[in-house]
Amino acid sequence: MTDKPAISVQDLTKDFRVGLRGVKLRAVDHLTLSIPRGQVYGLLGPNGCGKSTTLKIVLGLVPATSGSFTLLGHDSASPEARARIGFLPEAPYFHRFLTGRELVRYCARLSGVASDRVDAATDEALELASMTEAGNRRVGTYSKGMLQRIGLAQAVVHDPELIVLDEPTAGVDPVGSAAIGKMIQAMRQRGKTIVLCSHLLGQVEQVCDRIAVMDRGRLVLEGHIDEVLAQRGVHQISVEGLTPAARQAAEEALSSHGAHVLKVDHPRQTLEDLFRRLVTGSRD
Amino acid sequence: MFSRIFWIARVTFLEALRQRFLAFLLLLAAAFILGSVPLRSIDFGHGELKFLADLGFGALFLFGSILAVVLPAQLLYGEIDNRTALTLLAKPVGRGEFLLGKFFGSWAVLGVFTFALTGLIGIILLVREPDVVARAMALQVVPPEVSVVGLFEHALLQWLRLGIIVSLALLVGSLAQTFLYTVVVGSMAVLASQLVWIAQDTLANPEAVLSTLMRGALWLTTRIFPNLQGYNIGETLVLGQSTVLPGTVSSLCLSAAVYLVLILFLACTAFRRREI
Ligand SMILES: Nc1ncnc2c1ncn2[C@@H]1O[C@H](COP(=O)(O)OP(=O)(O)OP(=O)(O)O)[C@@H](O)[C@H]1O
Ligand SMILES: [Mg+2]
Repeated sequence: MTDKPAISVQDLTKDFRVGLRGVKLRAVDHLTLSIPRGQVYGLLGPNGCGKSTTLKIVLGLVPATSGSFTLLGHDSASPEARARIGFLPEAPYFHRFLTGRELVRYCARLSGVASDRVDAATDEALELASMTEAGNRRVGTYSKGMLQRIGLAQAVVHDPELIVLDEPTAGVDPVGSAAIGKMIQAMRQRGKTIVLCSHLLGQVEQVCDRIAVMDRGRLVLEGHIDEVLAQRGVHQISVEGLTPAARQAAEEALSSHGAHVLKVDHPRQTLEDLFRRLVTGSRD
Repeated sequence: MFSRIFWIARVTFLEALRQRFLAFLLLLAAAFILGSVPLRSIDFGHGELKFLADLGFGALFLFGSILAVVLPAQLLYGEIDNRTALTLLAKPVGRGEFLLGKFFGSWAVLGVFTFALTGLIGIILLVREPDVVARAMALQVVPPEVSVVGLFEHALLQWLRLGIIVSLALLVGSLAQTFLYTVVVGSMAVLASQLVWIAQDTLANPEAVLSTLMRGALWLTTRIFPNLQGYNIGETLVLGQSTVLPGTVSSLCLSAAVYLVLILFLACTAFRRREI
């Protein structure tokens, strides 16, 4: 049972009819994909390549044109499967007139959390998303970062096995994104499967175990992150106090062994690291 | 299943209450009814109660119908446009449960609307009653009498009628793609249902000369649209000026229930096939 993939997609195609004449737009093109359990899986690709559409089809929100798919080994229309997943849609919008806490409670109830557990589960989810304080404000007053975090809270309130996050960091500042990255890792440590769509490649690289890259509805690359990224033929050495003489000596020594230096430069810190050292955090 | 419908209905109800639209229409209707009270100084004699009841029920009918078309359409499209529907339907919530939740939430709002306005109308009628009765006595005509049970029955019938309209609006909303389209088509469906009695009367009239085609069209109309005009018997119920046949109210309730189940079933079927 547990060795069944969390999500499996076979030869999935989706055509949208657009415009009055019903011209077909192929959003997903013969996609075959298998997402294993217990990992963080990154689904990448440019805008409009069909990531969100694929996820919506798998979650049973949009009908597929052809192909088959399963969710936790079940048909995705089945309530058993859907009770065990949490979904954060892209650009989430929630009932503006509810407070954050009311929203999460409502989602807990709809997801089948036992009524004596609803309060505790709500508190835990708000805590995880660091929304405990803001939980008593109306959702309509939230900033983008808070919307994403309350979205996360509603997605995990029923302790699902599989968590699908469609661009959880869109519109969130780097500090908030890092916090979301930490949440993802924490959930992974609890043995959850996480599917992450994101354009923050740096973060994907940090948190994901496997990635798939889509382009124009097709799968162009899939694999373990280390295998996909490693340039096996090249090595990097970091040195402190490199004088011109030392550099010359090193280059000679290396070339005597048949290796040659491709480039020597200063490592740059990422803008993200710099930003995170300079600012204290968002006010939310 | 029932608990999920209940929670969706509850949140729908809350949403409607926290929006201004309901309060606005309620105030408008109340202002309309209260505004009619000073008009009685034009001496209506013992017809005053009838005048007040007519205006009150008219306002309830009109504003209630508007609310019953616009509110569910707005609640449904609001949720689809904001994509909150996506979040909810990714949970173990069936499409039918979602739609029924919207229905009961909107219907509950209309219940508040109907009973609040009926209460207002009742108070006005009861306050004016002694005066009018005294004048009728002076003129030696049979005084009218306000029936509280009748008021309640009228409110119930109106609420059922509005429930049918809500379900019609949701049916149109499940088939249509835009809010505006839903409101326009929904209003036309309500208008047709309100006028269907004309078709019924024409068919029943032995003197009417009708082509077979026309007769067929009229017959079809009477089969498709519920006869909503039949629920407007408020004046008879409340002022008791002509008698209501025994069993009328319960048979109207029964037919409303049948229509509700039927229309909601169609709406759920249509909503299941819809792309969100
Ligand atoms: N309901 C719809 N009707 C018509 N076309 C659609 C619909 N939904 C998506 N599309 C089209 O399908 C394609 C894939 O969209 P999708 O939202 O899956 O992209 P995405 O990979 O999630 O992009 P992004 O990174 O911008 O979120 C796009 O060209 C989009 O215009
Ligand atoms: Mg997307």
